[in-house]
Amino acid sequence: MILPGNATVTDATSIIALPAAPLHALEIWSNPQDLATRVHKALGFALPPMNRSAGNAAITLLRYEPTVWLVEGDTSVLADTLGDDGALTAIGGGIVRFRIAGPGWRELLLEGGVFDTSPAALPVGATAATVIDHVGVRLFATSEDACIVYVPASYAQSLHHFWEEALPLLGA
Amino acid sequence: MSGPTRVPSGEETIEFTFDGTSYHARQGDTLAAALLANGIGLVGRSFKYHRPRGIMTAGIEEPNALVTVGTGGRAEPNTRATDVFVYPGMVAKSQNRWPSLSFDVASIFGLAAPALGAGFYYKTFFGPAKHWLRYEGFIRRAAGLGNAPTEPDPDNFSQSAGFCDVLVVGAGPAGLKAALDAAEAGKRVWLVEQDAVPGGSLLRDPDPAIDPGAMVERIEALGGKVFLRTTASGYWDHNFLTLSQRLVEPGAVPPHGFAQRLWHVRAGRVVLATGLIERPVPFANNDHPGVMLSQAVRSYVRRWGVVPGKRVVIATNNDDAYLTATALVEAGAEVVALLDARASGPAAPAGVTVYHDARPASVSGRKHALRKVTAVIGGSEQSFDADLIAVSGGFVPVSHLHMQAGGKLEWNVEAQAFIPGSNPQVCETVGSALAPPPAPAVAPAGKAKKSFVDFQNDVSLADIDLAWQEGYRSVEHLKRYTTLGMATDQGKTSNMVALSRLAEKQGVTVPEAGLTTFRPPFTPVTMGLLAGAGARNAGAHVRRIPLHALHEAHDPIWQPLGYWFRPRAYPVNGETLQQAALREARTVRTAAGLSDVSTLGKFEVSGPDAAKLLELVCATTVGKLAVGRGRYTFMCREDGFVNDDGTVWRLAENRYLLTSSTGGADRMAHFMSYVRNSLRPELKCSVVNVQEYYGGIALAGPKARGILAALTGAEPPRHMGYAPGMLAGVPVHVLAASYSGERAFEIHVEASHAAAVWQAIEAATRAEGGAPYGLEAMELLRIEKGHVVVGGEVDGRSTPQDLGLGGMLNKAGGFIGAAGLTRPALSDPNRNNLVGLVSLDGPIPEGGMLIQRAGQSPQGHVTAAARRIIEGGAIALALLQGGHHRHGEELIVTSPTRGEKARVRVTSPHFYDPAGERYRD
Repeated sequence: MILPGNATVTDATSIIALPAAPLHALEIWSNPQDLATRVHKALGFALPPMNRSAGNAAITLLRYEPTVWLVEGDTSVLADTLGDDGALTAIGGGIVRFRIAGPGWRELLLEGGVFDTSPAALPVGATAATVIDHVGVRLFATSEDACIVYVPASYAQSLHHFWEEALPLLGA
Repeated sequence: MSGPTRVPSGEETIEFTFDGTSYHARQGDTLAAALLANGIGLVGRSFKYHRPRGIMTAGIEEPNALVTVGTGGRAEPNTRATDVFVYPGMVAKSQNRWPSLSFDVASIFGLAAPALGAGFYYKTFFGPAKHWLRYEGFIRRAAGLGNAPTEPDPDNFSQSAGFCDVLVVGAGPAGLKAALDAAEAGKRVWLVEQDAVPGGSLLRDPDPAIDPGAMVERIEALGGKVFLRTTASGYWDHNFLTLSQRLVEPGAVPPHGFAQRLWHVRAGRVVLATGLIERPVPFANNDHPGVMLSQAVRSYVRRWGVVPGKRVVIATNNDDAYLTATALVEAGAEVVALLDARASGPAAPAGVTVYHDARPASVSGRKHALRKVTAVIGGSEQSFDADLIAVSGGFVPVSHLHMQAGGKLEWNVEAQAFIPGSNPQVCETVGSALAPPPAPAVAPAGKAKKSFVDFQNDVSLADIDLAWQEGYRSVEHLKRYTTLGMATDQGKTSNMVALSRLAEKQGVTVPEAGLTTFRPPFTPVTMGLLAGAGARNAGAHVRRIPLHALHEAHDPIWQPLGYWFRPRAYPVNGETLQQAALREARTVRTAAGLSDVSTLGKFEVSGPDAAKLLELVCATTVGKLAVGRGRYTFMCREDGFVNDDGTVWRLAENRYLLTSSTGGADRMAHFMSYVRNSLRPELKCSVVNVQEYYGGIALAGPKARGILAALTGAEPPRHMGYAPGMLAGVPVHVLAASYSGERAFEIHVEASHAAAVWQAIEAATRAEGGAPYGLEAMELLRIEKGHVVVGGEVDGRSTPQDLGLGGMLNKAGGFIGAAGLTRPALSDPNRNNLVGLVSLDGPIPEGGMLIQRAGQSPQGHVTAAARRIIEGGAIALALLQGGHHRHGEELIVTSPTRGEKARVRVTSPHFYDPAGERYRD
């Protein structure tokens, strides 16, 4: 079981399981332009484009699919803007968030990966749905020094162990 | 004294063992260099005839000097002594010999060589199958070279992704230049080199104008990456390459736990600077220790300070070997003859006698070196006392990766070699591989039978001639008939020599004779590297259910289920699996049980068009479900066969929950995505996979309703009803569904809260005399009830009608599979139908075949067998031809592989409460 706060820290790189957070899938099926305007007005920022993020102190939207966003945080305002053009579905209980921080996070995420995590391909604020060692994960580059990785809860312990074992390889 | 030597310098500080004897090596020595430096020329035995073999090359192409390096689970057999660097404590052993390398009993096979030529197996081991049982043991014992370790490999293997603008393969002069040019142009550069140091041919033939170390530093300073001990082993589509990187030498203990790393690299452009491999020369006994390739001799002299022989004959058809003469002379060796097959050549070093129109015919020798070289010079034989012959039959460009990438080859007549031509990928070859030195074809001298072409498989010129004589014309047939070009070296030194012989036999040019295909890997890759981190878990991460830790506290028997692990049973007081499962099932039948069903597939479908989408996905009606109601459903493929089954629930006006089987959950996720995004993207609905969002707990048994009512403080919904509720202070969905045949509920809760809910239900259930039950009890319960399971009765070949579900089909049609079901063949009354079986004597063998009498073809098979939970007696579910109409018939279930059979009577599959009375309160 991955518990919030479980952490593996080296001099350079840390892997921390974050506390459970409200996560929702937002899918929009009609009137996208109109809904985007309503969301912008309600939240104060525009819906992010593909593989990008946007947010404020209360809520962050991460776009991984053409019509689907991962929503982290308080969805009360967003829910009120959707009308019959989209839906929110709670998914937080099935996802564990890891914060991988330090100068080695980009290299660590190449381990078992298929996705280019270099700053050119995954700049700060970018998101990506990809696979790490056959496990579907979502990446969110939060800063130059850190990335949030959303992992299916069933794989969280195993993937955490996988990263722990790979830490000594950084720079090898 | 003769044979290989090295003058000690005091730098021989690394101790290692070979066949149990300790030796010393210098830092940077390959095992081959270290053995030669210690006077050891005999390193192994050949595959078929167990002929003594030495060190032929100085690189990865080595066919002879194969050894086992390391001990225990780290032992790596068939390691090329030329491709492993000595480290302190290295343990190396020779292979394929008994009792010792010097005295190998199996070398007696060499005496039988005339009878063991090409096609020996095909000509000998045929006849009735039972004869094979006699041959098999012997062949298995004789086959192979090194032995695979029997212990698990303790090391890890990494697999990493890599991305670059330019990938350069080979850090010789051309590769270094290409990498540096690209780095200076601002490209993201990777340079990979299979050796431990950069330089390639510069290590053998230094050029004062080129400093490999400085170039590497410059490349790295510009942001490039340089990988040593890394081999580009595979070139796939779209400039995707696999690189195998040795993080430590074979058999060594890795400081960070990882022995090797497999890189999956996507490159914008690939530059192949892979160089040349020297071609051996066929003559009698050309496999004896003391026969080496010319450039290899030069490498040992100049790179490692080893002089492989003191009296050396050089045999060549090109100018390059003259450089070897110079190197040997400079090292103090005597070059007793330089045999040049051509009429003329360049100037030789002072004191070296050059013979033109001269070819080696045979050699003879001692254990570690040669004694005599016999040559044909201008038509006459002449012998030389020599302990080494350095041969060069020309050069073969290393075009393996070029060909793997789909590149074409062009024939270079002067060099008698294929060189890389056009390539459909963004790939180019540079350096010596494009311009091999001229080397004319030379007719071999000496006896064909002992003139070896493929040293790993003991294939001689005579074998090629025999294959030709027996009608094998295609180079592909030649390869398979003689085993030419197979094994660990994949013909790197043998292919061109063999092709030349084949072309000569056919009276055509080499390109007309053809060339076999180069396939990955370029050099052998250990299985662990391909398995990666998953090597210890059947190639995949273990999926843990949210209640894993709680179950673990009960010390259950775990059952792998796909990637999941679920409790199979919770034995107590030393119960066996069967005893525990029966107790748990009886508890469900008489009191109550709880089980973890978190792994069920689950999809939340919302929006105004949610019902429309579900009526497409589900083969039953959905649209008429009232809020708070659910129903059993199943899904078909487009061909009409049942794909999965589950339940569908209307949680709110525009919100549904669809559950599906555990085993089919991933398949259903793809299916739902396909339907939503490809078939009906215009629908106003959202489909979200919530399999992991919800933990699921089944509570079943006659006391289940009371237990749940007490826990939630509310009357539970009636059968196939839904109600939200609170349990243990946590919001839950209560679905009144039963898989066991008892009044039952599924309680779905956000996974992170599932533990609290389980603990509350378990405590209440135990207080009522109940207990947790696992998959085995669930199987007993569902078989007795006659419920199908995906992967058992739903086997991808069953229609709804076959399974007795035809009456539930949506009569309005419109669902996926409706059209497929109209095909006449799917209405054939003789299709396999689901039936029940009651034993008339003993247990029913699961998987057994259904027959009417002995000798008859099977008419069906048993999909699942069990025993009645309360009453006892064996029952089973089966798929039987025309089964719906054969109730009452007596059949035989037979399992010849297990030697089991039972007489059975065909019945309805519903053995327990067929009217469903127990679902009702």
